[in-house]
Amino acid sequence: MAYSTKVLDHYSNPRNVGSLDKNSAEVGTGLVGAPECGDVMKLQIKVNPATNIIEDAKFKTFGCGSAIASSSLATEWVKGKTVDEALTIRNTDIVKELSLPPVKIHCSVLAEDAIRAAIGDWKKKNGQHSQPQAQPVEQRA
Amino acid sequence: MALTEHKKPEQPDSGILVVNQSRPTKVNCWSCGAMRAAHFCQECGKVQPPTPVDYFTFFGLPFRLNLEPEKLEGEFYALSRHLHPDINAINSDREQQWSLEKSSQLNDAYRTLKDPITRTEYLLRLQGVQLEEQSKAATEEARRTGKIKKQVVPPDLLEQVFELNMQLEEMRMNKKMGEPDRTLERELQDSRKQLQDKYNGLLQELQAAWNQWDGLIDRAEQGGSVLEEDRIAVRDTMVDVLNRRSYLSNLLRDIDEVLES
Ligand code: FES
Repeated sequence: MAYSTKVLDHYSNPRNVGSLDKNSAEVGTGLVGAPECGDVMKLQIKVNPATNIIEDAKFKTFGCGSAIASSSLATEWVKGKTVDEALTIRNTDIVKELSLPPVKIHCSVLAEDAIRAAIGDWKKKNGQHSQPQAQPVEQRA
Repeated sequence: MALTEHKKPEQPDSGILVVNQSRPTKVNCWSCGAMRAAHFCQECGKVQPPTPVDYFTFFGLPFRLNLEPEKLEGEFYALSRHLHPDINAINSDREQQWSLEKSSQLNDAYRTLKDPITRTEYLLRLQGVQLEEQSKAATEEARRTGKIKKQVVPPDLLEQVFELNMQLEEMRMNKKMGEPDRTLERELQDSRKQLQDKYNGLLQELQAAWNQWDGLIDRAEQGGSVLEEDRIAVRDTMVDVLNRRSYLSNLLRDIDEVLES
């Protein structure tokens, strides 16, 4: 199976590989695995407490090329987003961007899981519920 | 609703542990009209047309997980001999075709049932479990509820898998540079031993679950009733053991690969 050029690019030149201090209150860590293939992915975010904006993100993935590319892309995408915006990233967005074939969809799911897990960890540390907040009633002008 | 929703595994069974209901009812031999056995007519010995059955039924076995490998192997060889193209060369085209189809069914069935792990996976699939779909289902659940996704294996196992992968990566680097780190090597050997013990423990857990499962099957076959909760509980135990097993077996393989390189 041929990898798309975007996958190859992220694979041979992964962005944001590394780790952040997992004990810091500003850092959320997500560690997830795909039981299908036994691959594991760790994704960390650093959130600005004043703005809730994700200022840095790092990952380390032991897995296939698509998983590495998906997590690399995920770190790029979450940076600069608020926590809530980052939660809207779907694995299907990753599939589209990287042109992943059907057999590689679970690799992109892993990346979405990792984002969600990292944010969940950060929220827990900061005493926020991981339940979705009730949508505020829209103010009419 | 039967144990053998073979054609539509995407439909979870409603869970009644009826064993015999899904078995094909006996039909008569197409050639001589006598009552036929599963594969060859008992009277005239002619090969019978293939039917879409699950692999346990193909071998005339109950849905038990403990089975005698020698018996299965014996049955496999006996059937292969009978279905062999050379033996069937004088038969009609139709019979030759049937023999061919049955042969390939036989090979698949044997390969699947012979190995204890694939046998368990297969049975779970017949039970409506889709091992490949669990992760996706959990992701959807997480999206829906806004909660963190529940991983299908315990977090400390994931943690261990990750740490060991880090060490393996380091070891590979060292070896590539021609300066293997002896301390790291020893650590990996220790971890390997631990993992092997864990792995063996899992196989024992699996064996225990098999025995429970077979107990349910036996009870149902003797006309006893089986609680739905009991069936689900054993099934889920097996799923859980298999998930953990797949991580461990991958790790063991990778450690060996690095240590032996
Ligand atoms: S094959 Fe496992 S994450 Fe891609």
